[in-house]
Amino acid sequence: MKGFTAAFLIWTLIFLNGGGGQAWPTHTACKDGSLEVLYQSCDPLQDFGFSIEQCSKQLKSNLNIRFGIILRENIRQLYLDITLFTKEEPIFSYSYPVCEEDLPKFSFCGRRKGEQIYYAGPANNPGFEIPQGEYQVLLKLYNENYSTVACANATVICS
Amino acid sequence: MAPLVSGFLLAVLFSANCNVITSSDQMCMEKEANKTYNCENLGLREIPDTLSNTTEFLEFAFNFLPTIQATTFSRLIYLIFLDLTRCQINWIHEDTFKSHHQLNTIVLTGNPLIFMAETSLNGPKSLKHLFLIQTGISNLEFIPVHNLENLESLYLGSNHISSIKLPENFSAQNLKVLDFENNAIHYLSNKDMNALEQATNLSLNFNGNDIKSIETGAFHSKVFRSLNFGGTFDLSIIIKGLQNSTTHSLWLGAYEDTENQDLTPAMLEGLCEMSVESINLQKHHFSGLSSTTFQCFTRLRELDLTAAHLQELPSGIEGMNSLKKLVLNINNFDQLCQINAASFPSLTDLYIKGNLKKLDLGAGCLEKLENLRRLDLSHSEIEASDCCNLALRNLVHLQYLNLSYNMPIGLQSQAFKECPKLEILDLAFTHLHISASQSPFQDLRLLQTLNLSHCRVDTGNQHLLEGLLDLRHLNLQGNSFQDGSISKTNLLQTVGSLETLILSSCELLSIDQQAFHSLRNISHIDLSHNSLTGNSIDALNHLKGIYLNLAANSISIIPPHLLPILSQQSTINLSHNPLDCTCSNFHFITWYKENLQKLEGSEETVCANPPPLKGVKLHEVKLSCGITTVGIFFLVIFFLLFTILLSFSVKFFFRWKYQHL
Repeated sequence: MKGFTAAFLIWTLIFLNGGGGQAWPTHTACKDGSLEVLYQSCDPLQDFGFSIEQCSKQLKSNLNIRFGIILRENIRQLYLDITLFTKEEPIFSYSYPVCEEDLPKFSFCGRRKGEQIYYAGPANNPGFEIPQGEYQVLLKLYNENYSTVACANATVICS
Repeated sequence: MAPLVSGFLLAVLFSANCNVITSSDQMCMEKEANKTYNCENLGLREIPDTLSNTTEFLEFAFNFLPTIQATTFSRLIYLIFLDLTRCQINWIHEDTFKSHHQLNTIVLTGNPLIFMAETSLNGPKSLKHLFLIQTGISNLEFIPVHNLENLESLYLGSNHISSIKLPENFSAQNLKVLDFENNAIHYLSNKDMNALEQATNLSLNFNGNDIKSIETGAFHSKVFRSLNFGGTFDLSIIIKGLQNSTTHSLWLGAYEDTENQDLTPAMLEGLCEMSVESINLQKHHFSGLSSTTFQCFTRLRELDLTAAHLQELPSGIEGMNSLKKLVLNINNFDQLCQINAASFPSLTDLYIKGNLKKLDLGAGCLEKLENLRRLDLSHSEIEASDCCNLALRNLVHLQYLNLSYNMPIGLQSQAFKECPKLEILDLAFTHLHISASQSPFQDLRLLQTLNLSHCRVDTGNQHLLEGLLDLRHLNLQGNSFQDGSISKTNLLQTVGSLETLILSSCELLSIDQQAFHSLRNISHIDLSHNSLTGNSIDALNHLKGIYLNLAANSISIIPPHLLPILSQQSTINLSHNPLDCTCSNFHFITWYKENLQKLEGSEETVCANPPPLKGVKLHEVKLSCGITTVGIFFLVIFFLLFTILLSFSVKFFFRWKYQHL
């Protein structure tokens, strides 16, 4: 009897977990003395890899990043939306065109669905100092049809 | 024992439930009945039985098919388009597509192909497009050539290809697109290029290859539609290598993440030795920019210098008389005159979009461009207190003007007098200062499209749109009206030829019944994202067959007398309204279900009231108003009981009364 109950419990646990869809693991994009950036993919279909070369409170302009992903959409046009949250309230949001028909800024622009991309190079970001605190950042990469290319929930901890 | 049994039953129930979920998860999406299916990301190991035999377009990316062979797709013989992106295909065996005579496109991007059989692509009568991007190909002999004589495009990007030498018996005569993007090609030889000679009007893409050497004469007397050498470190190699070639468009741009040598006049000298109509040099740096830099650009018709770090174009450039289109987006000009427009007298299209500094329009900077048809000055932080006659002096043939996303601009009456032939004027997101009762668009008799969205215009100005005799499309999105209401007399009365009117996000609360009475030709009205109620529909009573968007308003009840007005329109969107699903809205709900074919966004058209029906789609609501059979049954029972009770009490009363007599 006990065995049955245990088996039943385990079975339901496995099944419910499998059916419910698990979250992707949280990765560390960079970690240094004063700054830590963690991220988790919020695209239910896949995870991706990302790292920042230098990690400091005084964020340098044009940081070098590394990025690896499988494209699930063509990226002839690619846009990045960044939303900053504190206590789950959006306080700042910004949209940036990465690839456009008349200005493909990066060499990976125009790559096609199914391609695996590895990018190691400058991020073309402005430099600024991050004030102390913990921030939630939602990053979304999407194409002209609003189809998700990548999605990340990031946590920035600045001490 | 009982708990065991119940536990077992529960488990059976659960597993039944879960199985249903998984099987419904694996359903392909039917995009067009019996013809087009999307089965992406389902982890399928075979073609599902649910697909019709008549399937023509199949999107099957991100599934699991390690081996494909004659039996894999044998049932779907009418396939035209087959996308097998990233299906982990290793093997494509003999005669896989033998019976697919209509197949025209095969996408094999991102598959780790080990081997393709000689006859693996045989079968299709006219295979036109083949995608072999990132399939690990290092040698072009890998591609079976037997059935490629009709091929129009061949995509070979992101492989390990170092030589473009095509297989001996490859027939390139119908080839229009040959894409070698992001490979390891560093050298182009005469022999390799000669194999492409059969192709006419070919577009050849070497973007991301970093060509280090081209054999002299490799491109000699060859003709191309387009050539792309984007991201090449040393452009002088390319320009020298293209000697005596002819190409319609040549893309030589750089990227944020690629290193490039600065462009010198000496490097560009080779352009004199070739014939090219259109050049793109985006993101390059010019060193020693002078009028001689462009001495070999004389035959050019289109020049794109987007983000080329320019602060000015040198004056006195000679010989660029035939240039028709010039793109100077995302540069660093302070003043419009710094582009020295006089060097390009034939220009018809000029784009100065997204200037990185505040751009001063100056006076008459473009006055030598008599032939200019299109001018884009959007996103350039332009600020002007009195626009635009001085700035646009002498642009008599201008048809398209884009001043959207700029700083505030002041407009007086007849602000566009200098360009009377304007057909499209885009001022979106640029705040306009227009003094009361001025008519800035007065002379634009040919203007057909005017975008004033988010311009903060004074909608109380009855003369604002005066003079626009031929205006067909007007966008007033995001402007506000006094008291949130469009009154009987309003600015639309002077634009009777209007076909499309956009008044979304205007904070409207009501529209007068007579407000649109002058609009006789209208076919499209967008009133979405306001706070209108059902009564505003009355303003449309004289219109027939229009597209009407009332999404995201405050409509809850639509009175029966307004339903004929809706009935006479062709398409209506009522989604995202707080619709009432009680009996007080019974007529509308009945009408809604009868006219579903007219309604757009019916999935998002849901009830807000009563609470039990909140979120239910309107077309799924079943309302029974009036007395139901159950009601009648209870009423009859109640009546019977009441009669019995009454007769008993009467009896009892008389008995009591007689006893006391």
